[in-house]
Amino acid sequence: MNSPEIFERLFFQALRIRLVEERIIELYPSDAIQSPVHLSIGQEAVAVGACEPLTNQDLVFCTYRSHAFYLAKGGNLNEMFAELYGKITGCARGKAGSMHLAAPEVGLMGASAVVASTIPHAVGAALAAKRLNKKQVIVGVFGDGATEEGVYHESLNFAALHRLPVVFLCENNGLAVHSYQKARQSFEISGHAQSYGLPVHHITEGYDFVKVAGVMSEIIDHVRTDQAPAFVEIQTCRYKEHVGPGEDFSCGYRNIEEFQEWKQHDPLEQFPKLVETFRPMILKEIDAAIDFAERSPFPSIEELLCDVV
Amino acid sequence: MSCNTAMTLPVNCDDDVVSNGADTEVQVISYRDALHRTMHEALRLHDSVIIIGQGVDDHKGIFGSTIGLAQEFGLDRVMDTPLAEEGMTGVAIGAALNGLYPIQTHIRADFSLLAMNQIINLAAKYKYMFGGRFEVPMLIRMIVGRSWGQGAQHSQSLQSLFAHIPGLKVVMPSSSQTILDTYPSVIAEYRGPVISFEHRLMYDLNFQIDPLLTKQKRDPFGSYVVRQGNDITIVATSIMVLEAMRVADHLAKVAGIQCEVIDLHCVSNPDWNLMMQSVEKTGRLVVADTSWREYGVCAEVCRVVAERNPGCLRKPVVSLAMQPAPCPTAKSLEDMFYPDLRQFANAIATLVHGNEEHGIQLPDTQSMADVYKRFKGPF
Ligand SMILES: Cc1ncc(C[n+]2csc(CCOP(=O)(O)OP(=O)(O)O)c2C)c(N)n1
Ligand SMILES: [Mg+2]
Repeated sequence: MNSPEIFERLFFQALRIRLVEERIIELYPSDAIQSPVHLSIGQEAVAVGACEPLTNQDLVFCTYRSHAFYLAKGGNLNEMFAELYGKITGCARGKAGSMHLAAPEVGLMGASAVVASTIPHAVGAALAAKRLNKKQVIVGVFGDGATEEGVYHESLNFAALHRLPVVFLCENNGLAVHSYQKARQSFEISGHAQSYGLPVHHITEGYDFVKVAGVMSEIIDHVRTDQAPAFVEIQTCRYKEHVGPGEDFSCGYRNIEEFQEWKQHDPLEQFPKLVETFRPMILKEIDAAIDFAERSPFPSIEELLCDVV
Repeated sequence: MSCNTAMTLPVNCDDDVVSNGADTEVQVISYRDALHRTMHEALRLHDSVIIIGQGVDDHKGIFGSTIGLAQEFGLDRVMDTPLAEEGMTGVAIGAALNGLYPIQTHIRADFSLLAMNQIINLAAKYKYMFGGRFEVPMLIRMIVGRSWGQGAQHSQSLQSLFAHIPGLKVVMPSSSQTILDTYPSVIAEYRGPVISFEHRLMYDLNFQIDPLLTKQKRDPFGSYVVRQGNDITIVATSIMVLEAMRVADHLAKVAGIQCEVIDLHCVSNPDWNLMMQSVEKTGRLVVADTSWREYGVCAEVCRVVAERNPGCLRKPVVSLAMQPAPCPTAKSLEDMFYPDLRQFANAIATLVHGNEEHGIQLPDTQSMADVYKRFKGPF
């Protein structure tokens, strides 16, 4: 897992996600993207590492903060930008926007703007996978805040009870909107998850995509072979405001030192030469995707009442 | 209630098979057995079907509708669940997204309120929100618990909450026939979420089945004329269809009033043309729903008539529904809370005869629960 090729490949993917989101930030003031964006900048390594061991048949269920997972799972960049632009060529024909990206052709099964609400979908998909003998692994992605919702607990219980092939992946950025975890939780996420009787992993170096990929690969092998669930909590850091293109360190609720400390470890910050090597190629791809989005038509009236039932 | 020969009416002969006097035997099947038959057939015909709900595998089997199925098809297809309504609805959605057809049960419709997030925010929107790239084929069976003494939280009839939401189909089977016509075709052919409100009071009733109707393959999401008449239109849902038929029989007998009765059936997408044709013919309309008047089926029917052809009404519409309060437990109050046959007959007689001194003999006031309830005991 430690070969330079893997490092470079994952670095490239993480950088691609960051550059895509930085372009979204640039574009945002133009109002071409009329949809709230929850950026993953700072959290790219989680998605990149977690998707590395997955096949296109393995399914991922996400949250509104899922640009990174969409791209890491192999979602089409043109269709992503077109979706953000509200165009008919978007991955959901303009009906989703940033918060509900999906790419079923590569197993990205949708994202919900209601916190914790896709966790049971991952469990249900795992139930189907097991019953239909599909040999799939299903990953449910959620934030630290989601672990406060009842449905999170209902989902863990059912998956553990029936030994379903699902990985619960908690992206812990320590924040829910503007609230720190300690203001919200009387429990400790990993410790508490253990009480459901499933294996629990905790990765503190969530900036290290190689490490994340390594641990995830073991977890996914185990889930696939044993047909039983696992839990992984990955510490990470949200660089931007909760929703929107800016930073909000000046608002007083966040500790900027934590963020600066995290950046010291972030490979995308620490290897500028590698960034420069890959950047031109990625920017070209992004330019093409934006061009595709801009040239695509908006959905018309026929689309309004299409696919309701 | 007499042994009615109309096509799908309940028969009064408890568990006996009713003969129609001719050589051929009329087919009779209880609401419960019709449900059981559709559940059994669903499991038998479709490997993808699972039944999932609290107590589906126990000895009572959702009032008998799933009894024995776990033994026959296995506990992985007829699954008991933890007490987790939201989570289990989400599990059903996820299973549907990955190839299964879940049939989920709520032994009381009231408990589905804990699953509103999954039903309304997710199941109803999964197709549209992702541009048609996903389908969530599933059936959620909810039982309206009204019998007697069920009180405020075990008796509600929540169809309008769901019918309000685009993306959901909501049906209310009013007979064994409608169950046998609706469930198999929905399960085999429809690829979205369907909510069915079954009525506890009907479970023990025996209904005649019309094989000709079954052959017709009626639209499972349609509305049906179940009695023809020229004097007044009654639009009814669920068990109120039976009340409408009782009142229609009575008024035909004592006053020669001919009621046309429409079983709205698919309350989320009723056949409004069918209803308008009838109202345009009769000029009079009574709506009889199992729930509250406000913002519900009664209100919706009035909206449609008002928007389409208010001039066809010769009299104001009358709505028969529950009183605007939570359901009380004491029987004396409960009997006043639900509309009774006397009010129903009086409303129709008044509309047809133009005043309250219509002089038409009204039926006795035995409560609806007493008429239909065939079981003793708590649930
Ligand atoms: C059920 C629900 N409650 C509240 C919100 C508003 N909300 C949106 S994001 C969010 C924070 C969630 O935090 P977390 O799960 O840690 O995810 P993160 O945003 O940090 O990725 C909240 C409270 C919501 N979308 N859904
Ligand atoms: Mg968080």
